[in-house]
Order: sequence, then C-alpha cells, then structure tokens
Amino acid sequence: MFDLPNFNIPVYVFLFVFLAYMLFYVLYSLFNIYHLIRYGIYGFGLYLIVTIFTGGTIILVSGSVFMLMEYDWTHTISFGDAVDYYNEDLFPAL
Amino acid sequence: MMRLDRLPNQRDDERVVLFLRRHWFAILSIVTAFVLLTSIPLILGWYFWDTVDAWLKHEVLGPVIAIIGSIYFLSVWLFAFLEFTDYYLDTWIITNERIINIEQEGLFNRTASELDLASVQDATAEIRGILQTIFTYGNVFVQTGAEKARFHFKNIDNPEHVKELINALVEEDKRRLSSLGAGSRGKIKTVIK
Repeated sequence: MFDLPNFNIPVYVFLFVFLAYMLFYVLYSLFNIYHLIRYGIYGFGLYLIVTIFTGGTIILVSGSVFMLMEYDWTHTISFGDAVDYYNEDLFPAL
Repeated sequence: MMRLDRLPNQRDDERVVLFLRRHWFAILSIVTAFVLLTSIPLILGWYFWDTVDAWLKHEVLGPVIAIIGSIYFLSVWLFAFLEFTDYYLDTWIITNERIINIEQEGLFNRTASELDLASVQDATAEIRGILQTIFTYGNVFVQTGAEKARFHFKNIDNPEHVKELINALVEEDKRRLSSLGAGSRGKIKTVIK
C-alpha cells in the first residue's frame, strides 16, 4: 500500500531529555536552598533540612546515573522495525 | 538568615514570646503524599516484576523507562521539598510589642507584615471540623481598630492558647504605653519582596 520512511535515531537522544530535566532540577533546587538559607530561622534545624535535601538528591541522582550507565546508548531505534518491538514477552496478556 | 534574637527593626526591650508555624498536620500531609507517590509505583513494579524486568532489559524500552522513572522520583522529591519549604518559611512571631507575619507563597512570592500590639482590638480563635478538633489546631484572626485587614494565623497549634496570649500581651502593651503617655501606634505595615 504505502511505505513509511525508515529512519533511525540513536537511543542517546533520550539522554538530552534527562539532561534538560536535570538542569531544571538543579536550578529549582538552588532557588529552594537559597530561600531556605536567606529567609529561614537560624539554627541547627535549617542546616539539617538543607543536608537532608542535598543528601536525598545525591542518592537519587547517583542511583539514576548507575542505572542509566548499564544501557547501550549507541543502539539505534529503527522506526521501520517498530512493529518488532511488540511481542508477548514485553507486553504479556494480563 | 533570620535570627530570633535579632528581629528586623527590633526595638529596645522587645523580646520574642512565641514563635509559630503551621501545625504538624501540614507536615503529615506532605509526608503522606510523598510516601504514596513513591511507594505505589514501587509496589506495582514489584508485583509485576516479570514484566517490568523484561521492559528494563529491552535495549530501547529499558533506557526510556529508566529515564522516566528517574525523572518521576526526582520530581516527587523536589516537589515534596518545595512544599516543605513553603511550610517552613510560613511563620508568625509574637513579641511583647508586635506580631510579625511572614508568608511564603510558592518559591517567588513572599509577604512580611507586622502589627503593633497596641492597635489590636480583637483576637478570635477558630477550630472547625473533626480533624482540627481532634488534633487541636485551627486559625486565629487578629483584628485591628483602624484597618479592615486581619492577621490570619493559619492552622496553628492550640489557637485558644494563642488567642489568650495575644489578648494578655495586648493588655500589657496598652498599660505600658499609657504609663509612657504614648498613643496607639497601630498600623499594619506590609512589605512585599
């Protein structure tokens, strides 16, 4: 009937989305920490809050990076073969 | 950084009597939302582990799911913390001479107001609903004579006690001012940064 153009994109393009999000995350976090330090009440609690937030962020970002490092980002997605991705292993009947 | 022993425009002999934030129930709401938003996807992932594992091992779906998952959990953490910051920076300070109200709305709006105790005409405590009754929290409205605006202490612990304390401090401040021969200085001053 008709042929779809068969173009390929590498999987690492998704990393740009992640990097864009991380930029947003870092900016928002810095604003948040700035507000806490600038307007918070001086005391141990304030330092504890900033430490917990920073620690949690470090753990989550490290976990994400270790998880993402396991993948082959040079792999390409071929849209012409997209139908091959559907199979019973990936989408089993519930 | 603000210090309670060095308030902005602190007057001679002024001391902090009470420092208030919203009731801990506000924190409980944030923690509950955080726990639900993190645990539900984890429980679903664990329950359907065979399927999820196959997705994660796939050369295309795996990276996409890993990125979406990372963004999701980082977002939950960030927004929980933004909500906490909003709670943490909403404060009311009652001194023996004035009431200071600092309110954070989102990350970029902040209102700081102060009110001389001598201008306070009326303080009202309000506890509404089952939760507020059980956990003894609610609102206090402070009304001044000259201004229509009211100070609103939102969802604070033990509003009855706060109301009584304000009334006692107002009486004390009025006595102090009349002994000095000074009139009411009462005005709500608002500074929006």
